Amino acid sequence: MKTFKGGIHPPENKVLVKDNAIIELPLSKVFFVPTQQHLGAPAKPVVNTGATVKRGQVLTEPMGFVSAVVHAPTSGTVKEITKRVHPVTGLLAPYIIIEADGKDEWAPGLPLERDPFAMEAKELLNIIQLSGIVGMGGATFPTHVKLSPPKDKTIDTFIINGAECEPYLAADYRLMLEQPERIIDGARIVMKVLGLDSAIMAIEANKPDAIRLMQEKTPPEIKVEPMKVKYPQGAEKHLIDALTGREVPSGGLPMDVGALVHNAGTVAAIWDACALGIPLIERITSVTGRGINQPRNIKVRIGTPLKDVFEFCGGLNDAAKIIFGGPMMGIAQCCEDVPVMKGTSGILVLTEQETNLNSYRSCIACGRCLEACPMGLVPSMLSRLGERSMWKEALDYNLLDCVECGSCTYVCPANRPIVHFVKYLKTLQREAKAKGKGA
Amino acid sequence: MMGAMLMVGGIGLVAALILGIASVTFAVKMDPREKAVLDQLPGANCGACGFAGCAAFAHELTTTPEVEMACPAVNKDGLKAISDILGRSLGAGDAMIAFVRCKGSPADTITRYSYVGPEDCRTAQIIAGGPKACQYGCLGLGSCVEACPFDAMHMGEDGLPHVNEDKCTGCGKCVDACPREIIALISRSANFGVRCISQDSPKEMRQYCKVGCIKCRICENTCPFEAIEVTQGNAASIDQEKCQKCGLCVSVCPTGVISSKQPSGKVQVIAEKCKGCGICAQVCPVDAISGKPKEPYVVDISKCIGCAMCIEKCPADAIERLAR
Repeated sequence: MKTFKGGIHPPENKVLVKDNAIIELPLSKVFFVPTQQHLGAPAKPVVNTGATVKRGQVLTEPMGFVSAVVHAPTSGTVKEITKRVHPVTGLLAPYIIIEADGKDEWAPGLPLERDPFAMEAKELLNIIQLSGIVGMGGATFPTHVKLSPPKDKTIDTFIINGAECEPYLAADYRLMLEQPERIIDGARIVMKVLGLDSAIMAIEANKPDAIRLMQEKTPPEIKVEPMKVKYPQGAEKHLIDALTGREVPSGGLPMDVGALVHNAGTVAAIWDACALGIPLIERITSVTGRGINQPRNIKVRIGTPLKDVFEFCGGLNDAAKIIFGGPMMGIAQCCEDVPVMKGTSGILVLTEQETNLNSYRSCIACGRCLEACPMGLVPSMLSRLGERSMWKEALDYNLLDCVECGSCTYVCPANRPIVHFVKYLKTLQREAKAKGKGA
Repeated sequence: MMGAMLMVGGIGLVAALILGIASVTFAVKMDPREKAVLDQLPGANCGACGFAGCAAFAHELTTTPEVEMACPAVNKDGLKAISDILGRSLGAGDAMIAFVRCKGSPADTITRYSYVGPEDCRTAQIIAGGPKACQYGCLGLGSCVEACPFDAMHMGEDGLPHVNEDKCTGCGKCVDACPREIIALISRSANFGVRCISQDSPKEMRQYCKVGCIKCRICENTCPFEAIEVTQGNAASIDQEKCQKCGLCVSVCPTGVISSKQPSGKVQVIAEKCKGCGICAQVCPVDAISGKPKEPYVVDISKCIGCAMCIEKCPADAIERLAR
């Protein structure tokens, strides 16, 4: 089975939630919609306080190409446009707060059933951009940017990422099992946009039923490829390496080696946008961990407050840590009053036994992190440089190539927060760059 | 035996000869003044002067006549000694001192989450903007203490850093170490400082902290010298050049966020000089002076705050400060 060099085998813990069918969460009374739910330039609100909005109505205007619009998750009135804590940065960020009227009425002209395969590639790309679709695996990079490579770069390989290598999470798995058509037809739209006649669907071998179902359902041009069970198998660069043998150059993008990777959830959203005219206003996410009473896979509107999600899942029990995303790369939340966003691939509630709150010790130079690092870096050195704030020296150790997958931190016998140090060094480098101090 | 002794002794002699010649021919010529100047510098190599350590700065001082005294750590005596060595007078800049502009100890402030990770404010700051709810509050992990080359800072029992004024040289290392820009350098002669830099509205600030500046402007309106300003959205700030060290602001601040290094000396009326005009009683902001016209006035020490406004106004120079 295909794989990459390095990586780790953390306990999967998917059993908590993987057999629970997707349930739709009842509508909340109030929705908190952050204006920035993507990587890139911010978007500014185009609605005012007191305005009436309908489900699927555009709420923001992007300030640049690498940006994404946000839509109203339901019908109601704009109660307030204010600043609240953002789940990703933990800082105050602009929010549009919508008080739902309970009618859940669509904006005029929505939904709009049409045949996406009768449309031009350019038209499809435009729909994807206007629907505010971003990478739903968690990175939230605007999808239309990935789909419009510059003229000097051609994409010849399209990979649908169904690996879902993060422990605990099973949202993509449920999506593949329950709605395979959305993924397959979404993938065909992407193939049409890029002018490709083949695609690869990568699924980790720990989901045999999903692999079997996909092999049955996919047309011959989409090849289903079982992947070795290893973390981070679903990381973009490692998937490309495993499937094509091509290595994304340092500082480069997948399109530099002619590859494009989209998450299964993203292609399903592309299908909704192009064939049904539904913008990205809801997603499937796993609510799991031993700190939640009833782990569930839920279909949830963007902007739903976390407390409604917890209430639906039986409430919290002995929770020590709340994470958006998986336990390896997810973002720990500083407070409970944050909403579900486009990139929330999982909501993890961990108990104290499942987390590691111990302090760390000195590096003993055992080299386990070097074996685990899928990027072939020297994490032990990066962590030691991080302790001393030496970001310039860390650049010589390819600091910027670190994908922050957390494999090194997981294996470290001295419990060192290596990724934390790497993020710190990257922050220092960014600040110095912003000040114009070189490198 | 004899041969071995001669052999070893001979090698020793030859080696000594070579080393002796080398020490004369390859000697690095160094201005003796440079060594003398270096002895006067603190030797902590903090870099506050802008040169690569004390030796480099001593070299610059002796070789380049234009270089001014840039070391904040040299005291008056040291400055005089260096001026004597170099034969030119070096102007002293205003001596500075580090000042912690946050009063929010963990007991008085809200913490958003429990931080697990390196004990360093800068690494805590990148995790969701730091555990302290107030974005302008001290994180209390002691990066400034760690950075101080002069051992002039320590973490107090209140979870905040404290500056040892005798040791602080105003090099500014702690200022750079703080990710929230809470530490500032203020004039050593300054007596008052505002221990809050919050730009949040008073309502927001009150949710996070019990002791921060609520921007009530009482100090601004009270200050007789217009030395305090509460500009839009900012906490109160003191213009140290205008400040006359009267201390009225400290006495009126409702949250006690203005701190003073030492209490101002109180005043007394010199009875022989006093003509009993009563101007002092009129200007006194705390009604500490009383008396009858044409008779010597009296200061009530328990009321006097040492603002010295009466000294300034007295036409007969009949009021003096008591020793502290």
